[in-house]
Amino acid sequence: MKRRDFLTLSAGAAAFSILPATVRANVPVPYDRNAEVPFNDKKSFIDWMVANRGEDPKFLAQRFDRFQIMVYNKDVLDDRNKRAFLLTPREEFVLPQNLGRAYDHAFLDIGYGVTISGPHLVGRMTTSIDVQFGEAVLEIGTGSGYQSAYLANLTDKVHTIEIINPLAQRTRRTYDGLVERGYSEFGSVTSRNADGYYGWESVGPFDKIIVTCGIDHIPPSLLQQLKPNGVMVIPVGPPGAQHVLKVIKQQLADGTFNIVRSDIYNGKVVPFVPFTKLEGDQIVGTHNG
Amino acid sequence: MAAVISNSRLTVPSLEAPRLAHYLAVGLIAGAIIALQIAVMRVFAVGSWSHFGSLVVSLAMLGFSLSSVVIFAGKGWFDRHWQGAATAALLLIGPLAVGSNLVAQTVPFNAIFLVSDPAQKWRLLANFLLYLLPFLAGAFFLGIVFLKSRTAFGRVYFADLTGSGLAGLVVLVSLYLFAPETIIVVPLLLWAAGSLLWFLAFGAWKSVVAGVVVAALSISGYLMLPGLLGIPDIAVSQYKGVAYARNFPDGKRIYRSVSPFGDLQVYASSYMHFAPGLSDNAAFGMPEVPANTYVGMYRDGDGPEGIMRNLAPAEQVYFRYLPMHYPYVIKDKPKTFVVQFGGGISTQAALNAGSTSVTVAESNPMTLRAFRDPVLKDVTGDILAEPRLKVIDYDGRLFLANTTERYDVIDLSLADSVGLSNPGGFAISEKYAYTREAMLSYMHALADGGVLSITLWNKEEPPKSVLKLYSTVAEAATTFDPKGAANDIFAVSSYLSTTTVLFKRGGFTETEIKTLRDYTKSMSWEEVYYPGMTYDGSGAQKVLDDYRASIFGSGQDATLTQQPAADATAPANPTAPANPDCDPTAPADPTLDACAGAGGDAGPQVLPATEMQRMTWHALLTGGWGKLAGDYVFDTRALSNDQPYFAAYVKVADLPRTLDRLDLFQDDWGYLLIWATLGIACVTAASLVLLPVIFGWRIVFSRSRGKLGTILYFACLGLGYIMVEVGLISRFTVALANPTVSASVLISSMLVFSGLGSLFAERIFDRARTLLPLVLLAVCVLLLAYGFYLSPVLDRIGAYPYAVRLLLCFLLVSPPAFLMGMPMATAMTWLARLGKEHLFVWAWGINGCFSVIGSAAVPIVATSFGLSAVLQWAAIAYLIAIPAFFAVLLPSKAPAVRLVAA
Repeated sequence: MKRRDFLTLSAGAAAFSILPATVRANVPVPYDRNAEVPFNDKKSFIDWMVANRGEDPKFLAQRFDRFQIMVYNKDVLDDRNKRAFLLTPREEFVLPQNLGRAYDHAFLDIGYGVTISGPHLVGRMTTSIDVQFGEAVLEIGTGSGYQSAYLANLTDKVHTIEIINPLAQRTRRTYDGLVERGYSEFGSVTSRNADGYYGWESVGPFDKIIVTCGIDHIPPSLLQQLKPNGVMVIPVGPPGAQHVLKVIKQQLADGTFNIVRSDIYNGKVVPFVPFTKLEGDQIVGTHNG
Repeated sequence: MAAVISNSRLTVPSLEAPRLAHYLAVGLIAGAIIALQIAVMRVFAVGSWSHFGSLVVSLAMLGFSLSSVVIFAGKGWFDRHWQGAATAALLLIGPLAVGSNLVAQTVPFNAIFLVSDPAQKWRLLANFLLYLLPFLAGAFFLGIVFLKSRTAFGRVYFADLTGSGLAGLVVLVSLYLFAPETIIVVPLLLWAAGSLLWFLAFGAWKSVVAGVVVAALSISGYLMLPGLLGIPDIAVSQYKGVAYARNFPDGKRIYRSVSPFGDLQVYASSYMHFAPGLSDNAAFGMPEVPANTYVGMYRDGDGPEGIMRNLAPAEQVYFRYLPMHYPYVIKDKPKTFVVQFGGGISTQAALNAGSTSVTVAESNPMTLRAFRDPVLKDVTGDILAEPRLKVIDYDGRLFLANTTERYDVIDLSLADSVGLSNPGGFAISEKYAYTREAMLSYMHALADGGVLSITLWNKEEPPKSVLKLYSTVAEAATTFDPKGAANDIFAVSSYLSTTTVLFKRGGFTETEIKTLRDYTKSMSWEEVYYPGMTYDGSGAQKVLDDYRASIFGSGQDATLTQQPAADATAPANPTAPANPDCDPTAPADPTLDACAGAGGDAGPQVLPATEMQRMTWHALLTGGWGKLAGDYVFDTRALSNDQPYFAAYVKVADLPRTLDRLDLFQDDWGYLLIWATLGIACVTAASLVLLPVIFGWRIVFSRSRGKLGTILYFACLGLGYIMVEVGLISRFTVALANPTVSASVLISSMLVFSGLGSLFAERIFDRARTLLPLVLLAVCVLLLAYGFYLSPVLDRIGAYPYAVRLLLCFLLVSPPAFLMGMPMATAMTWLARLGKEHLFVWAWGINGCFSVIGSAAVPIVATSFGLSAVLQWAAIAYLIAIPAFFAVLLPSKAPAVRLVAA
């Protein structure tokens, strides 16, 4: 690494380390995987979260607004995913300069040529693989850490691999900091800095795999480490118009495998998610939010 | 500076009789401006994406119009203080070029966030304004010089054009010597030389000293300031392919060469994996591909193209799982031709499949040079030295068009393509290897029973490029074999991966079809077309409607257009875990299928994308393609030599609907940007043209007759000239194989010969009324002829050695270019002779404005109507200029008066 790059990255890391100070909250009540988060009205949600998670009401309000739009757009369908979204503090995973846009319908830069996907895409993709508690999930491309944090609310076996070392370290520090502050659920996220192409054989096989990095083919190792009838999802295409490829490792009657490619809509042509926003209590479409 | 100006003022009061040194200086400064244009384009190409560079630079040329308006408004002042103003403008060019470039690196805009992040458009604007500054200074200098040398306009114009033209060649050579991070040195050196010559011509010694100091500071500042201030030489976007290679812990650059063909770099890292289109079944059928098998090749930071190490024999089963293996499934020991060498993977696949000989073409000499370098020889096991291999060092398409050799297999696999989505979008670039004419050349070069195999990325949903490819191959096949085309095609695809089309000369046999189908099944790829394939078109219209609604619908259409998932009624897989959210009796969900979410679901029988591809082939080969293409959401027209574009998917009629959903068209931004450029250019140019009208029409022009005709004349020249220049750059890429080289040669040739034309025009000034219309008519006829007959000529030229190609291309442009140099010089001289001084200044600006509009219009005309149309439109512009010219010749009612209001 060039000295100048190193200094730039160090400066970036230093700047990032300042971030939690502005939004830091200590979790007053230990995490309860079965706790019922109110998601029918904004005030109850914020009150509950402040009381149980000690988070900033400003971000909680933004999270709930985004949540309502995601429900409207069917980005999250089931209660477990709704809960997972609402319990994941996205603001902890974005760069300081993007804090004001943490809950926008947009992907954001997180440095190193990597983005944090928009909340709608994370919701859609995770909902589509229907993660059950206890299932082993592997994420290739930790990035900001938000996707795995979301997954940690669905299962206790989340494994994530990041190829870019300084990013992997930064995100690990984010997790560690959050765990220290009482977000014990993120303790179930195991992360490593490695080449995700080869998967994580020692902790596999996996029920579900999410690949969030650009590839020109599906790595054979990942297909091998997927359990029979396991599901893998991979967003393909430019960040603003990604289409999610869904791959199923189908086990045939004779015990051999057949790999089936599809999308997460199972053959339906579905409109791209429009830009939507909340104006007062009204959800306003379409793309031109 | 005051001393400099006063000193200069005392020396020479006028420029009515310039000396040789003046002409040389003007030529060098004009050359510096052209060189700066190309250099800034290179900075953008390497730092972000070249089409944004085109946007910024083409708009920066509006500086010429802006300076014209200012000089127009303050003509009296500029007449009096011309030498001080020219000196100041001249001395500012260099520092502004250096400063602007440096500051621009601190405000890099990130193309991928252009829509989602409001701050990005301001950064783009900042880049534009910054780079505008040096061009503005240059434009002021040249504008003042033209103003003060009205009577010698033809000669000064000759110097201007010739200097610009020769600078194109200087930059071309310099691109071998200077890397993108130092390329701005070239315009700085030209500017420094021009400035010193200018001051020396006046004997202004203090100015010479000032010039030397400013030039030395500028050049050393350009080279040293980035290091001293910690600002990158070029702020390379972290989203460029090469940035990722640099981020890999063991990423290491092992090769670099800079040339007009681009900045070619090769990185090695164990983190690179390359298997374009690899079958998913490889996971269970072949041993793991060994680690550290690839190095990545990047051109201008884009990539990688994988270069594979020499595999051990046991590992070579890998090739069988790549789609480029298809032709070898039915061809044993073939004589093979690979159309584009690229990273060499197709060549390796051909050798591995047992080809008795492999002829491979590569038109980029830098690629071949890289593979002959000891470092890459070591990586590839010196693949170019393989005894079965024969290398053709020019375009494979042109070789096949001109050869009598016949081949059993011709392969065109993933050429020119890195496969991964380019987050900055793709520039509008010519893909001549994929045109209908190219396909016909390939088909003609097949031996009896020979197979043409084309593999392309299939990463778009809804499908775009692949449908263009299908319609191109089908058009060529039905031309080549009008009766049997339906038996000649076999096509497969893999969802969001690749597609492969096979064409067999003479048609596939039953046995071959079965062999290919078995292979397809063993690889889990989808059949899209084979002779005899049954087709059910009952759902066709719905797929078309759904795709249109998915892009241009309101978002609520989902519930209206959704169809039950093909597998929704299938019995649940007993191995699938229970899904508590699945209620089969609930209304069908418009988006996610909760019932199908858990594992065990094999997905639908046929995906819409696959269905669309099948519909396409059926319609192409049996009829109905016109309606289907009309109903489909994106443009699917075949590529031809006249319209060789994969990009520009959005139909023109749909353009207004893209505005509120630009994020969906990120891969087509190169195309949308040219519309944006045209829009901005038109608005800005209109403002600049109208300003003098508003402020000076009555006062200044009341005595000038033929105002509207004069405006029209110079608008036509501006449009016509630039359209020929830019249109021919695209056209000549056929023979020169590289857009940068083509641009340099075309710019040089056009400007040098036009310069000569403007010099020669002195001889017709007095008989202009009769001769110039003839010249304009000749230009018109020549352009029309070039439009119709250039293509086959360029095809022939393309088969010669590179140096001969350069020379022939340079000369081929000369006849129209020479004639096109006359109209401007003649008309400007007549404006000066008739005393229409304000029109003289204004005409210069109008010409500049319409040049910018014309250059923005070229890619739009080319993608919509074809490259021939560009020349035809230019021809029409020159035709319209004929009657307009007589307006230029109308005498003033009385001598022009000074602009009092200004």
